[in-house]
Amino acid sequence: MLTIRGLHSHYGLSHIIQGIDLDARPGEVIGIFGRNGVGKTTLLKTIAGWVTASDGTVMLGEHGLCGLSPDRICHAGVGFVPEDRRIFPGLTVEENLSLGLLQVRGRPKQDECRAIDAIYNRFPRLGERRHQLGTTLSGGEQQMLAMARVMVGEPRLVLIDEPSEGLAPMIVAEVFAIVRELRNRGAIVLLVEQNVHQALSVADRFHVVERGKIVFSGEAGVEADRTRLMQLIAV
Amino acid sequence: MSPIDYLQFVLAPQILNGLTLGVAVVLVALGLTIIFGMLDVINMSHGEFYAVGAYAALALGAAGIGFWFLLVLVPILMIPLGMAAERLLIRPVFDSKDRHVTTLLVTFGLGLIVEDVLKVIFGANTQRPPTPIPGATEWFGILVPNYRLFLLAVGAAIIGGVAYVVYRTRLGAMVRAAAFDRHMAASLGVPVSIVYAGTFAFGVALAGLAGVLLAPIYSVFPTMGRDFILLAFSVVIVGGMGSIWGCVFAGLLLTQVQALASLVISPIWTDPIVFGTMVVFLMVRPQGLFGRLGHA
Repeated sequence: MLTIRGLHSHYGLSHIIQGIDLDARPGEVIGIFGRNGVGKTTLLKTIAGWVTASDGTVMLGEHGLCGLSPDRICHAGVGFVPEDRRIFPGLTVEENLSLGLLQVRGRPKQDECRAIDAIYNRFPRLGERRHQLGTTLSGGEQQMLAMARVMVGEPRLVLIDEPSEGLAPMIVAEVFAIVRELRNRGAIVLLVEQNVHQALSVADRFHVVERGKIVFSGEAGVEADRTRLMQLIAV
Repeated sequence: MSPIDYLQFVLAPQILNGLTLGVAVVLVALGLTIIFGMLDVINMSHGEFYAVGAYAALALGAAGIGFWFLLVLVPILMIPLGMAAERLLIRPVFDSKDRHVTTLLVTFGLGLIVEDVLKVIFGANTQRPPTPIPGATEWFGILVPNYRLFLLAVGAAIIGGVAYVVYRTRLGAMVRAAAFDRHMAASLGVPVSIVYAGTFAFGVALAGLAGVLLAPIYSVFPTMGRDFILLAFSVVIVGGMGSIWGCVFAGLLLTQVQALASLVISPIWTDPIVFGTMVVFLMVRPQGLFGRLGHA
């Protein structure tokens, strides 16, 4: 269970996140929508520990995440796929993936090998290119790698920021298929996405953010909520 | 003098001297480049850590501890020193806006303090530990001191070992990832602050090891770090700040240039050639020959 209460965060003097409350259950995909610059990415970065929360609490099960360093937040079960994928250019595909294994401490070597093999079975292209540098992959493959890097761990909460940005439609469909897989594994997914129609196809619920606050919450399957969503985010 | 004699008695010994100096410089520069590549910190006290290693070997050697044990003991003793320097001096200013200038000045100040402390404790006179491996071996008519051969072999092993750890192990992948993008590395579970402290300490331990190894050749005196550190900085800049292979390549290249140039021009001009090369690289190719640690 993810429970966020009264979350605030700042960039310098700018008050970006202004009191967000949010709940999510295991196996739920929550869409976070809103116009550019309203604080969606900052919300994810605050949960991941990249931006320090100035007030409020983030609880993942029994673990309080606020005030922890990003590596400890990761060990608490949080996986983060940031907007620009952040593939390490000096590392091969396999090395990039192997870092994802660090989320689970003390995992036996055999289990680690199995986890990597499972990823190569799921993403054969990554298997074919395991010895290539990560940044020599195409944009779509890099997105797969960024998501696979989180999947080799055992995340209970996955934060995904704009996964479809700049990708071909076929790859986008694949990306959202992965989001469904994460949900089916029982992970909570917080999905920030500009492609609202695609995101609603995988989301269970959604929140609309404006100026760092949630201004509307709805169910993805309820037509009236979707209509209201479109009115709110229409430019 | 016949061409064969010139090759045997002039050129080959000069190349060998250049090679020994090259390996020595690479050993000193290795820690410097790893610290720079990882933390983006120019450690101006690195030369003094090299001197501390040499003095530690001198003092512990005088207390009866053998050279072979010192090769292991001194780097181990340097680790807490490096960790303390990172925690107390680098970490508090690491996230400040003026990090580059601040850390440069802080480590410069630390270097001055260490140098003076060495003067107070050991005096300003030059000291020379006994050569651990005496004698010389004849190779194609050239007498090569055995200790220099040992230095070449050990230097190659250390360089190979460091490169293996950095480029072929998961620990190395963690170091390279954190060097490139500390936030993303941390979000994958890399304990970045521990990796930073460990890397700084490892670089300092390498400087200490270089001090133990080079003391029998280049003697021990409080300002010994300065002589090497200028050359080591040139190597790091030309090779690519943070690149281990760049450090090795540039170290061997620049010292060979220095050694061979002294055959045709006055030795006074060899240093300006090396430092001139560094300046040209800073102007034309600031990323160096091999680029930075963690970058493709």
